[in-house]
Amino acid sequence: MSAADRVGSERLGTASAAAAVGDRARRIAVNVALYTLAFATALALSALLVVVATDASPGTVFSAMYEGSLKTGAARGLTLDEATPVLIVGLGAVIASRAGIINIGPEGQLLIGATTATAVALHAEGPAWLVIGLTLVAGAAGGALWAGIAALLRFTRGVDVVISTLLLNFIAAEVVSYAVGRPWLLQETTSNLQKLPQSDRIPEELQLPRLGSFPGFNVSSAVFIAAALVVVVAFMMARSRWGFRLKMLGYNPTAARKAGVSVALMGGGALLLSGAFAGLSGGVMLTGTVFRLQPGFSQGIGFNGLLAALIARRNPIAVVPVAFFFGALRAGGGFLASTGVPRFLVDIVQALLVLAALFPPLFLDLARRRRELRNARAAARRTAPVPETVGAAA
Amino acid sequence: MTTPIVDGASDRPGTGEARPASPVPAVELRGITKRFGSVVACDRVDLTVERGEIHGLLGQNGAGKSTLMKILLGLITPDAGQIVINGHPVVVKDPLAAAAIGVAMVHQHFSVIPALTVWENVTLGETGRLDPRRAAREVEEIGARYGLDVDPQARVADLTTGQRQRVEIVKCLRRNPDILILDEPTSVLTLAESQDLFRVLRRVVQDEGRAVVLISHKLDEILHATDRVTIMRNGAVVSRVTTGETDARSLAREMVGREVSLRTQAAALGLISEAESAARVGAAGDPGERADVVLRVVDAHVRGPDGRRLLDGLSLDVRRGEILGLAGVEGNGQATLGQLLSSLVELEAGHVEVAGRRVACGRPGAMARAGVAVIPEDRHDSGCVLDMSVAENLVLDHLDAVSSRVLVNPRRMREHAAALIERFEIKTPSPDVPMRSLSGGNQQRVLLARELSRSPRVLVALQPTHGLDVGAIEYMTNQIRAAAERGVGVLLVSTELEEVLALSHRVAVIHGGRIMGVLPRAEADLERIGMMMGGRPL
Repeated sequence: MSAADRVGSERLGTASAAAAVGDRARRIAVNVALYTLAFATALALSALLVVVATDASPGTVFSAMYEGSLKTGAARGLTLDEATPVLIVGLGAVIASRAGIINIGPEGQLLIGATTATAVALHAEGPAWLVIGLTLVAGAAGGALWAGIAALLRFTRGVDVVISTLLLNFIAAEVVSYAVGRPWLLQETTSNLQKLPQSDRIPEELQLPRLGSFPGFNVSSAVFIAAALVVVVAFMMARSRWGFRLKMLGYNPTAARKAGVSVALMGGGALLLSGAFAGLSGGVMLTGTVFRLQPGFSQGIGFNGLLAALIARRNPIAVVPVAFFFGALRAGGGFLASTGVPRFLVDIVQALLVLAALFPPLFLDLARRRRELRNARAAARRTAPVPETVGAAA
Repeated sequence: MTTPIVDGASDRPGTGEARPASPVPAVELRGITKRFGSVVACDRVDLTVERGEIHGLLGQNGAGKSTLMKILLGLITPDAGQIVINGHPVVVKDPLAAAAIGVAMVHQHFSVIPALTVWENVTLGETGRLDPRRAAREVEEIGARYGLDVDPQARVADLTTGQRQRVEIVKCLRRNPDILILDEPTSVLTLAESQDLFRVLRRVVQDEGRAVVLISHKLDEILHATDRVTIMRNGAVVSRVTTGETDARSLAREMVGREVSLRTQAAALGLISEAESAARVGAAGDPGERADVVLRVVDAHVRGPDGRRLLDGLSLDVRRGEILGLAGVEGNGQATLGQLLSSLVELEAGHVEVAGRRVACGRPGAMARAGVAVIPEDRHDSGCVLDMSVAENLVLDHLDAVSSRVLVNPRRMREHAAALIERFEIKTPSPDVPMRSLSGGNQQRVLLARELSRSPRVLVALQPTHGLDVGAIEYMTNQIRAAAERGVGVLLVSTELEEVLALSHRVAVIHGGRIMGVLPRAEADLERIGMMMGGRPL
């Protein structure tokens, strides 16, 4: 790099410093406009699809979505119940992405966590509060174990975490099928001749208590576990040495290593922790809403949590509204399906709304990169003026 | 230990028996000038290369060698000047135009694609129908003709560096160029591979009357492989000689320049005065102070992922309160030494001691904990975290200063930042803005502030003034001096000889991943330094 280039980049630095202070308000306005535009587009496309594919009018579809997720107390409770496991998974995914690790495997980690939690819930003896606690801990341990396989592969053999965690999802699904299909493992112990591939329902006293009762607002107390985790994670990230080093590792692994952060310990730890959150989420679903292990137990919650973390970027607080949004989509989608709109359409509408939420940050990121590129080119032009074509033409 | 590049005298080009040059030179560059902003990379450069000769282009980093050749290759447009090929003036707009007039270049950093086979790489970029069998046959033919033995079906990923370079050369020769340019071709080669390369080049010029330009900073290979030499310094040609009529000493002198001019430049920048430097040298000239060694690197060996020896038995001592300047041409192991002292690479053999204690090289943070502060060459790489705040960047590796066992204390972090911002005159709107928003000079100050604030035993500064303006250079050099006066052992690694000579108490020279020699400042004359930079041990 020539001295001239360096001078150019320094000039660039001062310019962006001045700009960074000035345009906060403008940034917020741009964000609001982008989100409005994105959701309007998603809703318009959804409406179009509904009109083309079904007899129903778009109005009835959206009001059904609203009715199922937000209109009544019961609907709002359902939304919260759906949001809780998404939130817990999302928090874990944020921890991993802060360390610069992309864990694609929460779905599988959640399943394994649910499996270990089921085993403890069905077999452990003791007072109910203790067994519930042990069940949740077992869930977290199961998830951490499953993520630990990926961590081990990464830091001993150099296997890419994206690939190993993704593939472990499929294996986890098979592990669950196997466990609930074997009487000597977790298959149900019913007197019926036909035993279904599912576990026994966990006993009533091990189910997390619900607040409120049916026609009105009612919600599983699991939501408090999630709320407590948000506070703890946000605080630890903002204020602890661990949070500081995690951030350093995620942004610049080389500088982190120089400063004494071990990639294997810190990064592997973050991966294990994100697995533990997914596994805990499985335990919470088991004790809070689903009550028995069966194939398909996870219902895509793991992937929803991952998406929530993607939208929230590296910010644990931002996961809360995003998880709530996903919860509302899931609750409203379920209600919509019960009104006779085909399930595939519900899924498409959900996906369009997720894309709408993902679009603005991605768009802004791309725009920033293009602007930087343009600035760099302009700086290069300033320092290296276009040469006059002399001589050689003769 | 000397490293003769070519063994027997038979391989040695006698200038007397060189083929009679044809009346028209293969390449003539007339008055080539190129400016980048205020920097003149080439200043009215004239260069003539005859058919049938290997022409050496010798100079330090930034002398303008590469720029000149990129102009010939159409990668850079000159501001002024004329290119004449075989007597015809031409305009070289881009590398395709250069290929059309018979100019080809083997770059220092290879452009082969590891995943492809040799013949695929050789034909890469050609248009029209591809005939794999013919391409493979041509690779074999060229290999046989020049002794460039390489299997056309082999995957490049499986080849050694030397073989990869053969692929590059085969690729160039297949296009049948009149002029072949090689940029520092031996920097990645072993001794035997270098000898093979020069044998091939000799064949190319002698049997076929092509012209070869060999860009190099190694005196030995210039002496042994070329017929004539053009020496560049600071963008201008300073000398043209016939290789047979010169020797390493005079080449070295021409390459690094005259002592007088260096002193004058340094004095003009306010970096040195004669009396001052004499006094400093007197103070630290005694080699008997063994106990005071704060940094000792012993027989360090590091190999790159491709098997190259990056450090090859490097040993050096830095004493308390001295500035040891490490001069050398870029790419001779300085970057690896910096990484070693930043705990970023592990040693294959040898060890590092800080204040008499061995440090576990490569363990994260080990060097920093032992008291080694580093101002890295590329501050964005290991020096700072651009997306974290200025305050956070000021405590990256000594979080203890602002935290209890578990929690970081934001108030103490702010106070710590405010104190350092004031002491080191860092210009920032607030300690909480991201590091990214600061100018380069101020980012450098943040680094300096952080590294010096934890009272290090050793300060390693790699190219600390690279790219800074005069004011920032003065600030940086004053800080380095002040650190040494406080008793810190300073290792100053720089490719700018002026800087090394102006600041150092002792001068060491690095070449090929090892130290060629160490001289007290008073005995460090340019001729000796130039010889060592060119690969001749003291």
